[in-house]
Amino acid sequence: MNAFVSDETLHAYVDGELDQAEREALAVRIQGDPELAQRVCALRSLKDMLKLAYAEPPAPQRRDVARAQGGRLQRCALGCLVLGTGLVVGWMLRGAEPAVATAQAPFEAMPGLQTVSLARVPDPDRMLLHVDTAAPDRMQATLDRAERLLDKAEREGRQMQMEIIANSNGLDLLRAGRSPHAARIANMQARHANLHWVACSQSIARFIREGQRVELLPAVRTAPTAIGEIVTRLQQGWTYVRV
Amino acid sequence: MINRLFSGPLRQGIEAQRPLLYRLAYAWCHDAALADDLAQEALSKAWARRDQLRETAALKGWLVSIMNHCWIDHLRARRDFEDVDALHDTLASNADLPEVCCDREQLVACVRAAVATLPLAQRQVLTLVDLEEFGYAEVARILEIPVGTVMSRLSRARAALKLILERKMRQAERPPVLRRVK
Repeated sequence: MNAFVSDETLHAYVDGELDQAEREALAVRIQGDPELAQRVCALRSLKDMLKLAYAEPPAPQRRDVARAQGGRLQRCALGCLVLGTGLVVGWMLRGAEPAVATAQAPFEAMPGLQTVSLARVPDPDRMLLHVDTAAPDRMQATLDRAERLLDKAEREGRQMQMEIIANSNGLDLLRAGRSPHAARIANMQARHANLHWVACSQSIARFIREGQRVELLPAVRTAPTAIGEIVTRLQQGWTYVRV
Repeated sequence: MINRLFSGPLRQGIEAQRPLLYRLAYAWCHDAALADDLAQEALSKAWARRDQLRETAALKGWLVSIMNHCWIDHLRARRDFEDVDALHDTLASNADLPEVCCDREQLVACVRAAVATLPLAQRQVLTLVDLEEFGYAEVARILEIPVGTVMSRLSRARAALKLILERKMRQAERPPVLRRVK
């Protein structure tokens, strides 16, 4: 049971090629094995980076030059990097601490909270939380953090906008009939008018292709892709938090 | 003329796949003009052979497999390769990777350059799985290779890519602009 998991198996896992029983068994192991989780994370990052690298190929040179898309992402210097967590962000963020002294105050109460922002000073009033795994502790942590941030803002009389975006297996958090936190989400929804829930349409489509029925909790909206949503928000000056 | 040629549901359906084919072709050859040619050629051939398409659900895979043939034909013509397998192991690019991958454009350039160093066969499998999210079985059908080969090529491609990118990132010295708050 605790034999070494081969790269091929992990590839099949992140590519959605394992059958349900294998997938579930491996998911349990990944939850209990940080090293394995790290390998999965690195693989996902690699996939994300590849997608990103070809999201906007140069415009075809001979025909239809006008079709070239005027780079919605073009102006975003770094938003993409949040996606390459395993490989890129750790490296990117290295040595970045000295620059953020001014911005630390709002986050002091959140040890271990990793935020990314394109602004010089991360905006504590516009936060985007991202969950991409069905690991119960991560889902729980996402909601805990969201509530702590929202409560803190409320205590301090700040108007906070928050979005919680789910993709990949993290979509479970927002799926009716599968979310372990449906009641809590409804409760949070009722308490905080500026809290929004976003599901990644690409992930939904993937689950549907796998033969699942996907129903979202009420009040969840969809975005074409999680990547696009995150990049857009970063460009708008939001602060991104990966839980 | 092209617009007149492609009208009606199937025509539109086929034409709608142009961006997908172009992106994939670009990821294979990293040459915008050639990628455009390949996509155009695949679309024209697909239209000419439209009666071979059994079900519209399989349209995407069918188009990509046609483009794969266009690509192989192109390589044969250009390089005069006798043996497609030998060709598949060829390294197509020795282009230097950008020095530092610390903003989006550089990261994109860095990943593309890393992909370009992969052998063609690995590059195709990798892009089909990661860019277009084809299942292993479908990639095997499109490229006409066994599923086991798909898996081993994918595995090698990702290992090589990871190595290249990690090495690149360790080399980077310029302090990143991104900020983290702990």
